[in-house]
Amino acid sequence: MGTGSSRPRAPPSCAPPQVSAAILSLPRPGRRHLVPSPAAAAAQEVAAMAGLAWRLLLCLGCALAAPDLVLEEAKRTVDLSTHLAKVSAELNLANPPGGAGPAGAFLLALEPGLEPRLAYLGVQVKGEEEEENTLEVRETKVKGKSGKFFTVKLPSPLVPGAKIRVSVEMVFTHVLQPYPTHITQAEKQFVVFEGNHYFYSPYPTKTQTTRVKLASRNIESYTKLGNPSRSEDMLEYGPFKDIPPYSQDTLKVHYENNSPFLTITSMTRVIEVSHWGNIAVEETVDLKHTGAVLKGPFSRYDYQRQPDSGISSVKSFKTILPAAAQDVYYRDEIGNISTSHLLILDDSVEMEIRPRFPLFGGWKTHYIIGYNLPSYEYLYNLGDQYALKMRFVDHVFDEQVTDSLTVKIILPEGAKNIHVDSPYEINRAADELHYTYLDTFGRPVIVAHKNNMVEQHIQDVVVHYTFNKILMLQEPLLVVGAFYILFFTVIIYVRLDFSITKDPAAEARMKVACITEQVLTLVNKRLGLYRHFDEAVNKYKQSRDISTLNSGKKTLETEHKVLTSEIASLQSKLKTEGSDLCDKVSEIQKLDSQVKELVLKSSVEAERLVAGKLKKDTYIENEKLHSNKRQELVTKIDNILDAL
Amino acid sequence: MAEHSGPDSGKHKANHANANSAALLHGRAGAGTGAGGLSGGLSQPAGWQSLLSFTILFLAWLAGFSSRLFAVIRFESIIHEFDPWFNYRSTHHLASHGFYEFLNWFDERAWYPLGRIVGGTVYPGLMVTAGLIHWILNMLNITVHIRDVCVFLAPVFSGLTAISTFLLTRELWNQGAGLLAACFIAIVPGYISRSVAGSFDNEGIAIFALQFTYYLWVKSVKTGSVFWTICCCLSYFYMVSAWGGYVFIINLIPLHVFVLLLMQRYSRRVYIAYSTFYIVGLILSMQIPFVGFQPIRTSEHMAAAGVFALLQAYAFLQYLRDRLTKQEFQTLFFLGVSLAAGIVFLSVIYLTYTGEWYAKIHIPIIASVSEHQPTTWVSFFFDLHILVCTFPAGLWFCIKNINDERVFVALYAISAVYFAGVMVRLMLTLTPVVCMLSAIAFSNVFEHYLGDDMKRENPPVEDSSDEDDKRNPGNLIVTMLMLMLLMMFAVHCTWVTSNAYSSPSVVLASYNHDGTRNILDDFREAYYWLRQNTDEHARVMSWWDYGYQIAGMANRTTLVDNNTWNNSHIALVGKAMSSNETAAYEIMRSLDVDYVLIIFGGVIGYSGDDINKFLWMVRIAEGEHPKDIRESDYFTPQGEFRVDKAGSPTLLNCLMYKMSYYRFGEMQLDFRTPPGFDRTRNAEIGNKDIKFKHLEEAFTSEHWLVRIYKVKKLDNRETLDHKPRVTNIVPKQKTAVLDL
Repeated sequence: MGTGSSRPRAPPSCAPPQVSAAILSLPRPGRRHLVPSPAAAAAQEVAAMAGLAWRLLLCLGCALAAPDLVLEEAKRTVDLSTHLAKVSAELNLANPPGGAGPAGAFLLALEPGLEPRLAYLGVQVKGEEEEENTLEVRETKVKGKSGKFFTVKLPSPLVPGAKIRVSVEMVFTHVLQPYPTHITQAEKQFVVFEGNHYFYSPYPTKTQTTRVKLASRNIESYTKLGNPSRSEDMLEYGPFKDIPPYSQDTLKVHYENNSPFLTITSMTRVIEVSHWGNIAVEETVDLKHTGAVLKGPFSRYDYQRQPDSGISSVKSFKTILPAAAQDVYYRDEIGNISTSHLLILDDSVEMEIRPRFPLFGGWKTHYIIGYNLPSYEYLYNLGDQYALKMRFVDHVFDEQVTDSLTVKIILPEGAKNIHVDSPYEINRAADELHYTYLDTFGRPVIVAHKNNMVEQHIQDVVVHYTFNKILMLQEPLLVVGAFYILFFTVIIYVRLDFSITKDPAAEARMKVACITEQVLTLVNKRLGLYRHFDEAVNKYKQSRDISTLNSGKKTLETEHKVLTSEIASLQSKLKTEGSDLCDKVSEIQKLDSQVKELVLKSSVEAERLVAGKLKKDTYIENEKLHSNKRQELVTKIDNILDAL
Repeated sequence: MAEHSGPDSGKHKANHANANSAALLHGRAGAGTGAGGLSGGLSQPAGWQSLLSFTILFLAWLAGFSSRLFAVIRFESIIHEFDPWFNYRSTHHLASHGFYEFLNWFDERAWYPLGRIVGGTVYPGLMVTAGLIHWILNMLNITVHIRDVCVFLAPVFSGLTAISTFLLTRELWNQGAGLLAACFIAIVPGYISRSVAGSFDNEGIAIFALQFTYYLWVKSVKTGSVFWTICCCLSYFYMVSAWGGYVFIINLIPLHVFVLLLMQRYSRRVYIAYSTFYIVGLILSMQIPFVGFQPIRTSEHMAAAGVFALLQAYAFLQYLRDRLTKQEFQTLFFLGVSLAAGIVFLSVIYLTYTGEWYAKIHIPIIASVSEHQPTTWVSFFFDLHILVCTFPAGLWFCIKNINDERVFVALYAISAVYFAGVMVRLMLTLTPVVCMLSAIAFSNVFEHYLGDDMKRENPPVEDSSDEDDKRNPGNLIVTMLMLMLLMMFAVHCTWVTSNAYSSPSVVLASYNHDGTRNILDDFREAYYWLRQNTDEHARVMSWWDYGYQIAGMANRTTLVDNNTWNNSHIALVGKAMSSNETAAYEIMRSLDVDYVLIIFGGVIGYSGDDINKFLWMVRIAEGEHPKDIRESDYFTPQGEFRVDKAGSPTLLNCLMYKMSYYRFGEMQLDFRTPPGFDRTRNAEIGNKDIKFKHLEEAFTSEHWLVRIYKVKKLDNRETLDHKPRVTNIVPKQKTAVLDL
């Protein structure tokens, strides 16, 4: 490339290409074959058959793959309106009558200049019912030819004389070079694209056209092969007739392009799966403006006051998150980035991201965005078999370019038999272990890399694994165990004495306190006895049944005796402890015996009253006297008890 | 507090018919203080009491923790202000490189080209504490980011402070007062001002260490046990590792011992406690690299040594007195010794503080720090509210019932009041003692008025009900009044915390008329731009206030920072800022400056910007370069500092002025004001036509708050003014020169 000649440069040999069946990766049936989901079973069968046919084809080698096909017509559109070069081509492929035989596949070629920048290649065939079938594409090599080659397997072999219409979509990144490479804030950004006037193909083309779509009508220069027509932001080359295979001729356009030249220079996407119902996604993004580099000062005044100042800079962009995204955060090393807005729509969550500062050419930034997803939308299971179906890469901004992507999928602790189904080739690195809350032996982490990705790579990846549900109990049990140990230690610490020296004084004090406590309850019980006896006396007064009185007296006597002796024993104990409380207890005993006397006296009087030996007035008077005395004594006892 | 009388008097009554009054009593005690009262009538009063204390302390911790979270809830979990950014940066270094690497850390990103030996010039306690917590949590697989540990460290430690204050007050007075003190310190603004979430500074943990050391000291004086003294030394060691304020401890404890000696309260306990504390504490404190040999060299540590010697002498005399009988001679001797020691002690104190005053007068850099200004009366009330009125009462109670440890708290109070009056930031050391003494005062009042209630219940019914009615309302009114005061205190604390102390100052917020909030994130915008879009080794010149933030957020090399250890370096930067562009360019070239960062508040009316600080720069520069910079040049003949047309021409052409107002003259902020109207100083700027020769604008943040200029490399050598000879042969050497 780059000779600049307007004549098609004929390749040294026009012989049909030799395909050296050097398939780079071994085929796995049904793996890379993208099947429309509804007819899964049928598709599986087809896929299996296709795989078989494919192997057969490999065995047969070049004979089947490379008959002399002819491109009847090639319509190519090169879309340069963004920072990507998106090439789509409609090919009308024919197996000429009298050919070598039916063709099961055909070859696609990429010219050597663009080939390393290819991010995505997709081939579809338009069937009769206008439905689109994506075809299987495999990289291959052709002897003696530079550039990249792909074999595309046709849905059904193309018999001689038959035609098929396929559409090819290619996306190239970093092929638009800013020129001049440095601009000031006031200048506009111009870029140069260098491509091929012809559709680069191993087959001869009968007629072809190329249409170049630009970002603006402001075109500095363009190559004028075949006198292309120019309208607005469109250049149309061709039609060129009867182009030999491998024709190359440099197409060069220099035009104004102020679209955001944003590139994700590196991105790490961490997906953490929890079987408790949450999937946490976190993306760490390094962003760079890869357009023309800003030279000279950045003036905020101009940027704020003049609308076309810094026209190629990026102020903000939109990231579309899944509809179920919750708890979205957007931050960097020094904290939350406050310049963002979140818009919750029916089918997605839109986040307007404004980096902390506008991105001019050559400026970069770095941020972290994260959110939570409910796992029921992405995690499927059948018994112990689990499948996580999530996007390998998600939308960051429209027309995104990711130079290098690392995806880490953190599965729950105890996940085994991990197996990844990816829609395109990814580089798996060695699995890692990740330790976070309540982990003991680590969570398995799947690590995968892929470089040079575009929007078309937003596709689902499926991770299959097995997980024993009993392991769900591990974490709660761990917490329970930890608390158990904690409480148990506290109990042990409080209950047991760990001091290395004994403190006899404190011990004695505690003993005394214990005894006093007992004395208190006993005294209270004894006072209660009197009240019981009073009731018995009252009952006797009403019923005049001497037996109740006697029985009441008996119980009083016996229980009182027991209690008093108990108190006495406690008192002696106190004495042995050497406490002065002992005297107080003996005082209580003395007072109590007086109380008891009074009680018995009043009962005797009641007896006499009932027997009629006493007048009622005198009885009431006596009773009052007694009760007053008793009250006094009880108060005394109370006071002593209080003092205790 | 009611709980002291609660358990013993309440118990028996419940067994009698008096249950009603008991219930009433409980209700009141519970309402009054929430402590203890409930225990009456329950079978295990001690259990209930400790449960209640535990609950109250836990709630105090919780309340203290949550009231410090205003900034986190309003903004985010972010490190605040200036110094915390350095602490965070070094903690981050510690967490990612390990302890020894931290101790040996030579930071070549600060004080360019000098660098800074960080390990030997910081109090590492804060970083080690945070790093240790982070390490333990990560050992347990609790993956917390070090930033969150740093942000929440101070609120967590405020709970520990509350507990240690409780312990100390309990030792001094009783449990009830302790609980009140814990509640006070948990929410008092004077302490919150230094310990909100995000304020990751030494003071946050140092107040805990201070209170805990004092608790252990009081405990050791009370028991005379070596065990407690050793604990006290360890706590003191932690304090030394955490904050320069440890000097307060090493002076207050000797003062306590000295006063005890004067009061004839010498005992064997004091002797054991102080001798052990001094020796072990001295050795431990010297283990901190930053402290090193200071404890045996500098004047502020000499009081401790003097008292140690005095105590030994006194103890020796005591020993002699047991043996000898010459009573008079010894008294005379004692008097002589104590007088001499007293004079030495006082003169040391005098020298220390006159030294500080000297610094204040003669080194403008110390005077320029706002927190070194004397305290106003308003800020006493603002930070302590009702406590500032009640704590003298508590002090009076303590002095009235004096004992060894109450001598200590009295000295603590008096000295802390003095220091707080000298310097506004030492309000922090006053706050704990004010809380303790106020708690004692409140506790006493409650005990008196609520406790009286209980005693009155005891006498049986004969007590005339009339009298009862007469006394009840009085008590009730006093109690209600006290409760109201406490309630107002709580409201005030919350209000102050929310309005005055919860701004990260890294992020600003403004409110629109409809109440919506605008976040002005200019600082981080500019710092992050520096971090992402300048060379990794670019050197950024700015005034020292922003040094730590640039190092922490932008991760770029700075010339001067908040450490301010090298006055002449700062003066050089001040000189560059206050010279004209050509002179400044020479200084900046000699210092390898790539970018200059300034803060400009004229667009949004931010008053803390560099033009408002500019006079300090001039003063500091003048201190070192009196020939080149004169403060008077920057004033108008009338002695005013003006940025408008009437301002002095030196000011209008100095680098700082030009950088602040570059292209500002074209900017019309609204229709009522002329273009170039500075909102901070309410003046139309005097120099609108600003052109740079050696600088170019590199970045200005959205609200113009931060402006960064790039220092251009030297121009190409000037082209020759005569035409080179035209010949057919191009001389090779000539072109080589031209290509330069």
